[in-house]
Amino acid sequence: MTTVDNGLDPAPSAFEGERMTAPQPKPAARRIRRIRGGFTPYSLLTPAIIVLALITGWPLIQLIVTSFQEFGRAQVFGAPPEWVWFENYANVLTDPVFYAVLIRTIVFSAGCVIVTMFLGTLIALMMMRLPKGFRILLSVGMLLAWAMPALTATVVWGWMFDTAYGVVNYILVNWFGMEEYFQHSWLIDPLSFFLVAGIIIVWGAIPFVAFTLYAGLTQVPDEVLEAAQLDGAGGFKRFRLIIFPYLKPIFLIVTILQIIWDLRVFTQIFALQDIGGIRALTNTLGVYIYQTSIAGGDFGQGGAIAVITAILLMSISIYYVRQVTKEEEL
Amino acid sequence: MRKLGIVALGAAAALTLAGCATSGGTGASEDGAEIRVWLVGTDTPDEAREYLVDTFEKENPGSTLVIEEQAWDGLVDRLTTSLSGSDSPDVVEVGNTQAAAFTSAGAFLDLTDEYENLGGDDLLPGFVEAGSYDGKFYAAPLYSGSRLVFYKKDALAAAGLTVPTTLDEYISNAQALAAANPGKSGIWWPGQDWYNALPYIWENGGEIAVADGEEWDAQLSSEESLAGLAQVQEVMTTASSAPKDGNETSPEVGFCDGTSLQLSAPSWVKWSILAPADAEAPGCPDQEENLGVYALPGMDGGAAQVFAGGSNIGISAKSAHPELALSALEIILSDEFQTIYGENGLVPAKLSLADTLGTDEVAKAITAAAGNAKLTPASPNWADVEASGILTDLFVNIAQGGDIKALAEAADEEIEAILNS
Repeated sequence: MTTVDNGLDPAPSAFEGERMTAPQPKPAARRIRRIRGGFTPYSLLTPAIIVLALITGWPLIQLIVTSFQEFGRAQVFGAPPEWVWFENYANVLTDPVFYAVLIRTIVFSAGCVIVTMFLGTLIALMMMRLPKGFRILLSVGMLLAWAMPALTATVVWGWMFDTAYGVVNYILVNWFGMEEYFQHSWLIDPLSFFLVAGIIIVWGAIPFVAFTLYAGLTQVPDEVLEAAQLDGAGGFKRFRLIIFPYLKPIFLIVTILQIIWDLRVFTQIFALQDIGGIRALTNTLGVYIYQTSIAGGDFGQGGAIAVITAILLMSISIYYVRQVTKEEEL
Repeated sequence: MRKLGIVALGAAAALTLAGCATSGGTGASEDGAEIRVWLVGTDTPDEAREYLVDTFEKENPGSTLVIEEQAWDGLVDRLTTSLSGSDSPDVVEVGNTQAAAFTSAGAFLDLTDEYENLGGDDLLPGFVEAGSYDGKFYAAPLYSGSRLVFYKKDALAAAGLTVPTTLDEYISNAQALAAANPGKSGIWWPGQDWYNALPYIWENGGEIAVADGEEWDAQLSSEESLAGLAQVQEVMTTASSAPKDGNETSPEVGFCDGTSLQLSAPSWVKWSILAPADAEAPGCPDQEENLGVYALPGMDGGAAQVFAGGSNIGISAKSAHPELALSALEIILSDEFQTIYGENGLVPAKLSLADTLGTDEVAKAITAAAGNAKLTPASPNWADVEASGILTDLFVNIAQGGDIKALAEAADEEIEAILNS
């Protein structure tokens, strides 16, 4: 310890007598952290990583392996599979049905995400202004909606839109005199099928968005909002220029989670297809994978579609993870 | 000392995680094995279920038998995943047209040596064939059930009609009923119900698909099939007010609330209709006097060629207790158990028990229909055609008044792709 390393030489400043110095180089800090933590964090992480590798990693590897094989029902029961390498992928990528399903899924999810985010934000803003009693009432209501299993929700909504005995048709015909809705089938037309599916999905997704944003809204400092109000900023301007920038990371995370959830939606579409509608015109990626592999018994091709979907979702997730880490660094 | 600390930490972390996972999943004890039997739908009467459980537990002291009821919807998918898993049920019922998908894949235990023991040539031959693959016997017949037409006697009488004797008369009757009762179904026919469309195709001389050497040739767009499909569309659009995209579960609802005047359904639907009014799936027992039944008439009189519905039953190749499972299967194919089926309007698995059906109207109609029943194409891939929803989509489109020829050609292409894959 004979020389003292002060990093870079102090640089001259515009102020007299002042010298600017760069911060200490990082390695020193890193060394300290390592000494403090030792192996403890890693040994604490190991079991979780092992479990994750087993329950997520292993099936994923199996999926990728299957997608390179000719894998039918006989193989499920033990017959040796035949390697076909990229044939499954070639089949999928040259199949117009796949692109139709993909585009349908993307458009439908985009619609669901936009409506969910819009309504979720409105409800979160409303919760800020509601008196306590109503806020609790609304929270409990949303919690119940969120806690309801997707399958149960779909069956109940399916009944409401039922052709012969549904309450929606009943109200439209008997209260509003719209005779054309007598025995109207809501699911037979793909557009109206996705309207019903969209209602069920958005209804189930809003509570999460509303609660998360509400939690964020309580953190926006009142002084800033008050100052803006005094400066003459209207409600929308305050939201756009103050609230939104404050909550940007939350909006980002919630939106991307919604995109991922809606792109891989399965239960609502699958259950609704059983109630009515035309399967070929209402398949989304999740249901299409299921139909190809498990119902159709072509696990190889289903695997290929699943891997393509996983890559699609992963590219979105990577963007999400990068954005989040960027925000944390700031 | 330090190393020990790390080990302790790791162990602590592992224990925490393990703590979350140890609840649930109790295995069967050593000598008291549990046999799981999957029965599908509500077809099997409660009396038969009780008989099976009691007899099994009497014959195999210490072991228990649990019946787990499955839904027909999505059965192929569920069997594929459950029969291949380590937690496979021991004895499973499967639709006769779906059996080939599993017998050909090796999902069932080979029962060839037990054939004589289970009933031998007394078993329904068509179903033995459905449960066999490559000369080996895998799945025994369970029961057969033909589709019958149920009708409201008063509605038919009020319209001045009698029980039809030809298919054309059946159609015109249905249209007359619908015209006389606006908003009601002369024949209740939801669009997804493709089983009921098969007799129209067959009676007109058409087929779903025929084997042409190794290849299958789908026939829905043949001249004959198209004539049948045109009749289907006529009935669906002019005589039925059922949802054009609905499924055929719960036909008793419309019958009981008076909106379905006639419906074609499996014979056991009689018991759904006559179920007590306070049952979980309520029926309308007060309609018993008014409930008539006949076999669907054919083109030239007599019974039409209807779909031979029914079930096979096999033992999972992965069953942990194949001997106990076989004992359960023996009880299921015993005369006592099968007689209960006969008494409840299902055709027993044994030819010698045919007279247990009795002599009432339903029994006569069943016998007439069963004599002329027909099966779907005998391909191991047929179950995939059913599961893919091609046929439900086709008839939903037909029910909406779609272009039959174009729809049938598209469906043929898809069916061939699956059958020949």
